[in-house]
Amino acid sequence: MNEATTQERQHAAAVEPGWSNRNEGAAVSKSQSGVRLSGKLPKRPPGLWRTGINKFRRNPYAVAGLFVLILFIALAALAHYIAPYDPARIDLLNADAPPGTGNHLLGTDELGRDIWSRLLFSGQVSLSVGFAVAFVSVLIGTLVGSISGYFGGWIDAILMRLVDVMNAVPLLFLNILILAIFGSKFSYMILVLAFTSWMGVARLVRGTFLQLREMQYVEAARAIGVSNTGIIVRHLLRNATVPIIVTATLMVGGAILSESALSYLGLGIQSPDTSWGLMLSNAQEFMLLDPLQALYPGMCILIVVLAVNFVGDGIRDALDPRKQPVAERRRWSAWSRFLRSRT
Amino acid sequence: MTEYLVRRFIQSLIVMFLISIVTFGLIHAAPGGPTQIFLSPGLSQEAAKAQAHNLGLDRPLPLQYLKWLGGFLQGDLGYTFKNHLPVGQILWPTVGHTMVLMGTSWLLSLFIAIPWGIYNSTKAYGWSDQTASFISYVGFAMPTFWFGILLQELFALKLNWLPLSDMWAIDKEGQIGDLLLHLVLPVSVLTLGFLAGYVKYARTSMLEVLEQDYIRTARAKGVRESRVIYRHGLRNALIPIITIIGLDLPILVSGAALTENVFNWPGMGRLFVEMALAREYSVLMAITIVTAVLVIVGNFIADLLYALVDPRVQLGRKGGTAA
Repeated sequence: MNEATTQERQHAAAVEPGWSNRNEGAAVSKSQSGVRLSGKLPKRPPGLWRTGINKFRRNPYAVAGLFVLILFIALAALAHYIAPYDPARIDLLNADAPPGTGNHLLGTDELGRDIWSRLLFSGQVSLSVGFAVAFVSVLIGTLVGSISGYFGGWIDAILMRLVDVMNAVPLLFLNILILAIFGSKFSYMILVLAFTSWMGVARLVRGTFLQLREMQYVEAARAIGVSNTGIIVRHLLRNATVPIIVTATLMVGGAILSESALSYLGLGIQSPDTSWGLMLSNAQEFMLLDPLQALYPGMCILIVVLAVNFVGDGIRDALDPRKQPVAERRRWSAWSRFLRSRT
Repeated sequence: MTEYLVRRFIQSLIVMFLISIVTFGLIHAAPGGPTQIFLSPGLSQEAAKAQAHNLGLDRPLPLQYLKWLGGFLQGDLGYTFKNHLPVGQILWPTVGHTMVLMGTSWLLSLFIAIPWGIYNSTKAYGWSDQTASFISYVGFAMPTFWFGILLQELFALKLNWLPLSDMWAIDKEGQIGDLLLHLVLPVSVLTLGFLAGYVKYARTSMLEVLEQDYIRTARAKGVRESRVIYRHGLRNALIPIITIIGLDLPILVSGAALTENVFNWPGMGRLFVEMALAREYSVLMAITIVTAVLVIVGNFIADLLYALVDPRVQLGRKGGTAA
């Protein structure tokens, strides 16, 4: 039966005796202390997460991505301690200093602001936008998708029309429109970006729910009086965890790109705050004078998003046992659709 | 089939209606509302009232909405507030410019990506496939506008081979050769972006087909490999590819706000950003609605194409298939 869900599979594995795994030694000693049987023991199966972590560790791209990501997060988090200068400090006497002058590791921009310090602080902004947007949009998407998929009927119809509406408006335009009307603030930007990127998650969760809500274990849960919320959270949502996590990781990269795009257009982060996108728009103005200035922030975006995507792919490969081209194709098309809305 | 078409049409109308309400509502939700932004500064209270009355801004919102919708349906997109120019006069030329840019990039990327992706599927994980993979990953992670800026720095400023920006040089407006020169850089940027997705998409579509039983059957009965791939495989792999092409039709008009800004291309995306910063709401509304219409038409065409190329699909029964 191929409709066996993750949960069921786990359950089946747990009761099946003689299951063995790679970490035999550790598992044996553990279960021995608990069960005390002689001879060959049924060992606890490693479970979804344990297997996942092991698989993830064997994927060099994913590990490298995670390492780079952690490095960037650490640099951004410690920007206050690492950065040699205040990123907004203007020093016209030392404007346009080439890399390596004095204490300026990467030189200064046209106002004499230290580029290395600005990169560090921009990292703070870009990364927090990335993670915050992914978090909020997963929240919205899960909520809408669960309600839609679980209750069905006219609620589903209304919510799905809403998704249609959102998908028919060019999203970059919508972002620009909202930010132009309400003004660009850090918190607005997160909300606006989340508000325009939850549809994928909603569809995904709804799809899973439609598939699973007729399953017998759901029926059983309902029969013994589990509430709607209980069924949604414990029995349905848990089965959508893996695809949600994968989508969320990809969303982090997408949000970082979107933030840089909006800031570049002058509708995102505003001076004296700084972000990689804002630095790029600045660099374009002065590219005759200082062509190197455009290189650094762009490289930072490229590396971070690449790292996030590698981690996302690693998680997908590690947790999703289905290795069908269908899944892969769907992912590429989702990504490229997203990307095309941000050219 | 007819029933399906009618249902889809009505659904599209509802979506359009909702979009127009949302856009209109958003604009009138602006702090202070359009009344404050649109009126000339420094007017006395009396004069301000009179001007608001002339612009119809003192009427209740639903009425304003209906008036605007009525005008829109008759092709009257309204007027800009600054110079009182008709919106259509500003908007339509930029649609054409955007289509030139996007159409070239889109077709170019399809012509490269589909054959390449199909070739890669027959030699999965070979060097060509790995190269495509690399391009896809980088293309996906790179801010397109940054790539544009780098190309400008290299080819326009440093090497001086190509023009930096704009659509035509000032004294050569309308000349096709000059247009082509100006197209090279922005088209390269956009093509790379599109290519990244399409190559992978074509490859995985084809791989999926090549795993099917009928391919094995064809091989087993001794059909030549080239025939297996191009006759049995390709024809089926093209179905999802054609669908995605249909779904992407709207990018012809709704795409390149960023690239247009980098290269100062006089298209709709640049117009939108410019007008957003100037708060010319009538133009913004017009652009949003026009692009939304085109997106919906594109989805519709995608559905029809899907049914056309795949005999298994019966539109009436399956409901909203590809949308």
